[in-house]
Formats: sequence, C-alpha cells, structure tokens
Amino acid sequence: MNWIRGSWAVLQKDLRLEMRSRYALNMLLMFVLSSLLLIAFAIGQEAVSERMQSALLWIVILFSASIGLGRSFVAEEERGTVLLLQLNVPGSQVFAGKLIFNFLLLVAVDIVALLVFALLLNMVIENWGLLVASLLLGSVGLAGATTLLAAIIARASNKGPLLPVLLFPLLIPLLLSVVRASRAALEGGLGVSGAMGDLQTILLFSGVVITAAVLLFDYVWQD
Amino acid sequence: MINLRRYTLIRNIILVWMTVVLLAAFLLNIPKINILEHTARNLYFHVPMWFTLMAAVFVSAYHSFQVLRTGEIVRDIRALQAARIGAFFGILGLVTGIVWSKFTWYVGTDIWWNFDPRQSMVSLQLLIYGAYFVLRGALDDPTKRARIAAVYNLFAATTTPFLLYVIPRQMESLHPGAEGNPAFSEITHPIMRLVFYPAIIGFIGLFWIMYTQRVRTALLKNRVSHDPEL
Repeated sequence: MNWIRGSWAVLQKDLRLEMRSRYALNMLLMFVLSSLLLIAFAIGQEAVSERMQSALLWIVILFSASIGLGRSFVAEEERGTVLLLQLNVPGSQVFAGKLIFNFLLLVAVDIVALLVFALLLNMVIENWGLLVASLLLGSVGLAGATTLLAAIIARASNKGPLLPVLLFPLLIPLLLSVVRASRAALEGGLGVSGAMGDLQTILLFSGVVITAAVLLFDYVWQD
Repeated sequence: MINLRRYTLIRNIILVWMTVVLLAAFLLNIPKINILEHTARNLYFHVPMWFTLMAAVFVSAYHSFQVLRTGEIVRDIRALQAARIGAFFGILGLVTGIVWSKFTWYVGTDIWWNFDPRQSMVSLQLLIYGAYFVLRGALDDPTKRARIAAVYNLFAATTTPFLLYVIPRQMESLHPGAEGNPAFSEITHPIMRLVFYPAIIGFIGLFWIMYTQRVRTALLKNRVSHDPEL
C-alpha cells in the first residue's frame, strides 16, 4: 500500500507541475503536429501504402517521445529537487511515478498523432481494436525504456540530444513489431490474426524492459 | 598479479596458431561449391569474426554486471575495452559479409545492403556500442561514468535478444540453416571444417590478446592520470 501511495505522490506532483506550465505536453503536441504537417506537405497528394502509413506514424511517435520525455529527470536536476525526492521516496516508487506520467504523455501523443495523421493522409482504419492495442502496448514499452534513459541523461554533463542516440538502438525490436501490428490493423483481412504474435512480442518486450529498468534504476538514481 | 611468462607463452602460441590458420585458409585446396566457388574461403574469416563479436559482447556485459556489483573501476575498463574490440570485429564481420554477398548472390546487381537478420543484428549491436561510447563521453566523473555506462550496457543487452525472435519473422536470410537454405554441414566439406574450427579458436585468441593488452594500457593510464580514458 505504501508503495502505491509513494508512486501516486510522485505522479501527482508531476501532473500538478505539468498542469501549471503544460511545457512538456505543449512541446510534444507541437512537435507531433509540425512533423506530421511536414510529412503531409512532403508527400503531397500521393497515396501512401498502409505499410508506409504505419511506419511514418511510429517514427513520428518515436521521435516526439525521444525529444519530449527526456525532460522528466533533467527538470528535477534543474529545479534542484533531486535530493528531496531521493530522501523522501524509494527509487522504485520514483520510477513508477515517472513511468506512469510518461505513459500518460505518450497516450496524449498517440491520440493526437493518430487523429491528425488519419485526417491528413486519408487513413482507413480496418481494425480499431488492434490499432489501439498496438498503440497502447507500444507506448508502455516506449515509456519504460525512455524513463530509465531519461534518468541516465540527467546524470550526463552534456545533456543535449543524447536521448535519441541512446534510445533508438534499443527500440528497434519494438518498432519492428508495432509497425507490423499497426499495418495489419490498417489493412485488415488476414493479417489481423497474424498480428497477435506481434502483440505478444510487444507485451513481452515491454515487460522485460520495465523489469530491467526497475532493477537498474537504483544504480542511476542513487549517488 | 599475472604470470608474465605464462602470458607470453600463450600469446606466442596464439600468434603461431593464427599464422598457420591464415596460411591454410589461403593455400589449402577447397572443393568447388555452387555460386560461392573460391569466395567460400571467406568462411574462415567472416564467421569467426561473428563469434568473436559475440564473445566480446558477453565479456563486456559480464564486466558491466560486475561494475554494478563491486563498483571497481577495473571492471569498467574491462567492459569498455571488450566493447571496443567487439565493435572492431563487428565492423570487420559486417564488411566481409557485405562484400561476400555482393560478389555471390548479388553479382551483376546494384544491391549492397540486404536485410538479412544477422546483418541487421550486427548493425544494431554496433549502433548500441556507438551509443555506449557517446554516453561515456558525456560523463565526466570516472566512478559515475563506470556505473551509468554499465547500466546502459546491461539495459541494451536485455533488448537485443528480442531481435532473434522478431527479425527472422519478417526477413529472409542468406545464411545456412535458415528456411530454404541448406544447413551448414551440407555445404561445407570436411576439409573446410578442418580450417574453420581452428580459425574460430584463433580469432577468439586474437581477441583475448588485444583485449588483455588494451586493458593493461588502460590500467597504466589510469594509474598516471586517474582517468582510464585519457
């Protein structure tokens, strides 16, 4: 019970700070919107295949995650609140709170990206359930990897664009599976039953990544 | 403390061993194989480089684990040097593989890169090591660098095994044993295995020499400057 209360407190703190400034959310949404518009302008009127649609959608989500979510621990360092958190809350609870916060941000990104993308590229979605499942499960894995790496870059001296460099090699297995699953959801038909294996892979990947991240987080978090 | 005489002895054995392997690789006659013909000799170099990369990945991950357990800077030096030499052998394995496929399956075409599972995996492992080196460059304090780089190395090691499962599902392989391809034992003549297995041992021995030498140099640098990377 205490564990949940601690994580909830961290999450609540982050949500309240976010509601005050809406910095991370606005930045993420602006990034998603502008990159989607860039893609739409670059492609023009050309019809885009389902495979390309799902690949572009996930690349936009991945890039916005790598840019927007890196701040979760850097912001603590800048505000000078790291020590306070370290003293008051055990590491795993900090991690859980931040993980859920990042996941919520990603869900917002997913919704906006999907709606705008469907509008701009005339997406036809055959199987909503599969698409939503792949977006949500993919976001869990993405949030898990990003949260640990965000804690890592908060420790680095040149924070700059370090997160994408660290994140992308780790996420290629996830990216391959989610792109396939979303593509099956867009195409519908026979691919849908085949996509169950991909969903299982995404689930497994997210589980392993979050487990490893929880185990390793204390080494990054504690001085 | 290491026994210097024994170290020199093992090193010399490996050097002689590698020389014999190289001579045998180029001079021994090999049976004619379809498509491959004499490029089949690349088997003696390309495949052992792969094994060496895998050995280096294991050594590096093991020492990263030990960094977290004990916090010794020596472990960090070992993990870093194994990763560097692993990346070196990975690049060699990748290049020999690309050249090999270009002049056999893709002769007469413009294809250089193919999405063979193993090729994708080795390029991914190289990307991870690239990120690992970049991360190390961004950390100043040696003990902090040791711990955080170890976390990244281990975290990356948990995600790569998924590729073994994910990638073969969507890409076809050029390698033996994969779907539709003959197994390794069918395309290799016994005489080739006579060179191939010693070549694996030789390359891993070569890795061991380079690794131990680099670790010694890094330890000396660390003693002088208190920073193993200066």
